[in-house]
Amino acid sequence: MSVQYMPVIWNRNKIVYDAVLLIAVALYLYVYIRVGPAFEDVTRPIDGAILRMRAFGSCAFLMLTVILCIGPLARLDRRFLPLLYNRRHFGVMTAVIAAVHANYVLGWYFNFSPTDQYVALLSSNTNYGQILGFPFEAFGIAALLILLVLAATSHDFWLSFLGAPIWKALHMFIYAAYACVVLHVALGALQGPGDPIFTALVAASVVLVSGLHFVTGRMEAKRDRGEQTAQASLQEQGWVIAGDLDEIDDTCAKVVTLSDDERVAIFKYDGKLSAITNACAHQNGPLGEGKVLWGCITCPWHGYQYNLADGRAPAPFTEKISTYRLKLVGSTILLDPNALPPGTHVNPIEFGGDS
Amino acid sequence: MQTASILIEIGRYYLMAGGVVAVLFLAIGIDRVEPSSRGSYVFRPLLVPGICLIWPLVLYRWIRLEKHGEDAR
Repeated sequence: MSVQYMPVIWNRNKIVYDAVLLIAVALYLYVYIRVGPAFEDVTRPIDGAILRMRAFGSCAFLMLTVILCIGPLARLDRRFLPLLYNRRHFGVMTAVIAAVHANYVLGWYFNFSPTDQYVALLSSNTNYGQILGFPFEAFGIAALLILLVLAATSHDFWLSFLGAPIWKALHMFIYAAYACVVLHVALGALQGPGDPIFTALVAASVVLVSGLHFVTGRMEAKRDRGEQTAQASLQEQGWVIAGDLDEIDDTCAKVVTLSDDERVAIFKYDGKLSAITNACAHQNGPLGEGKVLWGCITCPWHGYQYNLADGRAPAPFTEKISTYRLKLVGSTILLDPNALPPGTHVNPIEFGGDS
Repeated sequence: MQTASILIEIGRYYLMAGGVVAVLFLAIGIDRVEPSSRGSYVFRPLLVPGICLIWPLVLYRWIRLEKHGEDAR
C-alpha cells in the first residue's frame, strides 16, 4: 500500500454523518438534562450531577445499541448501508460519552474520598457473591475499557498493522462490552426505584439486538444452504469447483488442471471473471501467468493477446482459443469442464467489485 | 482495599510500560514495519492511547512483522 496515513479521513458524507450524530447526541442530552426533570417524582428529586451521569450513561447505552443494530440491518436491507460506512466514528463517540459518564460517577461519588478515587471505586463494594447489591460498577469498568480499546484501535493503521483476523477478533469484543453494559444497568440502575420507561428501553434494546442478530443469522444460514444446494446441483451436472473468489488477485488468474493436457485459466478483472484455456494458440505459452489489460490477456512468452470474453485476438489478428463457462455461487467459482469452440463468446461473470 | 490498590498499581505500571513501548514503536518500529506510515507523522499521536492499552499485542506484531515481513499480515 502506498497511500500515506492521515489522522482522520473526512469526506462530505462522513461530515454529514458526524454532524447528524453530534446533533442527535446533543439533543438527547439536552432533553434529558433540561426537560427530563419536569417529569421527575417531586418526592424523590435528583441532583444535577446524577442527572448528567444518567444522561450520558443512558446515551452511551443507546448508542451502543444502535451500533450493534447497524450491521444486521445493513445485511437485511441495503438502504441501511450508509449507516455502516462511518460506524467507527459512531463507536469513538460512544466511547467518549461513556468516559464522560464514568467521569461524572467518579466526580460525584468518590471526589471527597480520603483514598485514591480509583481505589475507592474498586473497594467501596466487594460483595461479588450476591446478586442484589452486586458491585455493578465492575461491569461498567470492563465495558468502558473495551470501548476505549476499540476506539483507540479504530484507525486504518491498526487494521493493517494487526492484520485483519486479529483486528476483527479484537473488535468482536464489542459484544462483550454490550453484555457488560446490560449487566451494569440491570444490576445497577434497574435495581433502584422502578422507572418503567428506562426498564422498557433496556428490555427493548436487548430484544432488538438479539432479535436482529438471530434473524440475520437465520437468513445467512438459509442463503448458505441455498448456495450449497445450487453448488451440489451444478456438480451433479459435471461442473467442478474451481476455487474461491478471494483466491484470485485482481488482473491475475488461477489455473485449474482438468487433465494432464487441459488447463483452464480463470481471470479476475474489472469486477468480472472469465475462463479461457491456459494454452496460447501460438506456442502453448502459459496464458494464466499473464496479466490482464483492457479486458485482454497478453501471453507472457511472445505477447499474443486475446480478448477474455471470447478468446479472440484483437483485430487484425485472427488467433482464437477455447473459452469456458463459469458460475459463481456465493464466493465459490464453478467451472464447466467442457471447452467451448475457440472464439465462443461467454458473458463474463460479474461479482460487483473491483478488488 | 489492598486488592484494589494493587490492581490500580498494576494498571498504572502497565500503562507506563505502554508509554515506553509507544515511544520506541513510534520512533523506530512503525517506519520499519508499516510502509504506509513512512513520511506521515501527524497521525502518530493518535496511536499512543491504543499502544498504551494493547502494548503486549503491539510488541508481538512488531516482532512478527520484523521476522516474517508482509507474510505476517
